[in-house]
Amino acid sequence: MQESSTATTTNGPAKWGMAVDLDRCTGCEACVTACHAENNIPTVGANQAAAGRAMHWIRIERYFEGEFPDVHVKFRPVLCQHCDNAPCEPVCPTYASSHTDEGLNAQVYNRCIGTRYCANACNYNVRFFNWFNPIWEKPLHLQLNPDVSLREVSVMEKCTFCVQRIKEAKIDAKRDARPLADGDVKPACVQSCTANALVFGDLNDPESAVSRLSRSPRGTKLLGDLGTQPKITYLQREG
Amino acid sequence: MRKWFILLLTTVAALGLGWGFFGENGFLRGQSNTGAARAQTSPIFTTAHSSVGEAVRHFFGIRSEAQQPIAYTHKAHLDRSITCDTCHTGVNTGPQARIPDIRDCMECHEFVAMDKPVIQQITAMWERGEDIPWQRVYGFTDEAHVRFNHAPHIRADVECSMCHGDVAQMTVAERVVDHTMGFCVNCHTQRGASNDCLTCHN
Repeated sequence: MQESSTATTTNGPAKWGMAVDLDRCTGCEACVTACHAENNIPTVGANQAAAGRAMHWIRIERYFEGEFPDVHVKFRPVLCQHCDNAPCEPVCPTYASSHTDEGLNAQVYNRCIGTRYCANACNYNVRFFNWFNPIWEKPLHLQLNPDVSLREVSVMEKCTFCVQRIKEAKIDAKRDARPLADGDVKPACVQSCTANALVFGDLNDPESAVSRLSRSPRGTKLLGDLGTQPKITYLQREG
Repeated sequence: MRKWFILLLTTVAALGLGWGFFGENGFLRGQSNTGAARAQTSPIFTTAHSSVGEAVRHFFGIRSEAQQPIAYTHKAHLDRSITCDTCHTGVNTGPQARIPDIRDCMECHEFVAMDKPVIQQITAMWERGEDIPWQRVYGFTDEAHVRFNHAPHIRADVECSMCHGDVAQMTVAERVVDHTMGFCVNCHTQRGASNDCLTCHN
């Protein structure tokens, strides 16, 4: 049991990343729904949403091109980019926003005191503040995921790359005494994507599907010139 | 005259505070508080504390002793070479060590020690279709944001008694080990397990 708990196809810790093929995304928002269900994300109601307090760890951005009737719609799923050089981390006074060994941009709810500096610093608008204690009308609380904690008022929350699934896959792999294989970990959005537009995996493994896609000549980073070094690669549309 | 008036006011305030904190439904007393009952009957589920008292108790880590409906004796069972996971099933396969229900008891006690009054008592409950309302002894508060998984600990040969004390010598289980973060982190450090925040908190 002294061996590394992060055994992957490569040696050393994994570096989790994602590739998003924009040619495949149909904008169906199944990922958004799956994310809400998996991560116990509360809905805030119409009034609060109008005040900009809606919480969606992943969202589909729409871009319209051309004049009616010749309109093209482009979709782009946007979630936390888990930047290697994350602007949200150095501004946190309590180290609630910090980097893990596996490159995840972690949000530790226990430490968060709700300054909202991180949301202010984030270039991608993917951090969400709990302005109120979330409410579920009974019996809807019975569908909450027991593997994910509930965030209370004055805590910032964001995409975790479904770290509970990463942990579960690692525990299962260790139980079966095998290395973690490519595709063992699937966040809720990746699992639910009907078009396979989202691919998740270990960027340290050069043979993983996500590594191969990230090397594609179509690959771009969202606001990459800011130097945040995002771990999500968007494959630009060809069509 | 004024001096006596202030003294009287101070005494009344002290008595009030004392009653508030230590009285029957006070801040520092256990689940006798009506807040928990209110949360049960409320049509909404929320992460908000059901009362100020509950928030204060959670903040200071004050917990009431569990009041078990039956004086279950762990010692008598474990002396007969029954292991923990006979009744607390799931502990080596999943996150939770299940609190046994009356069916687990009746698996044996339909045939064993039927002359004891307490067994007759649970047999009567069983025949009425009731379950035994055991209370949890250990556990984390919601705002601790801890997602504990038993199975990997069992597979790493962590003894049950490491975190739950010598239950083999107890009648009803008592909370003898404080599950503070330091307690967990010390063991993780000694055994070379990950001390990343997300290992436990997510």
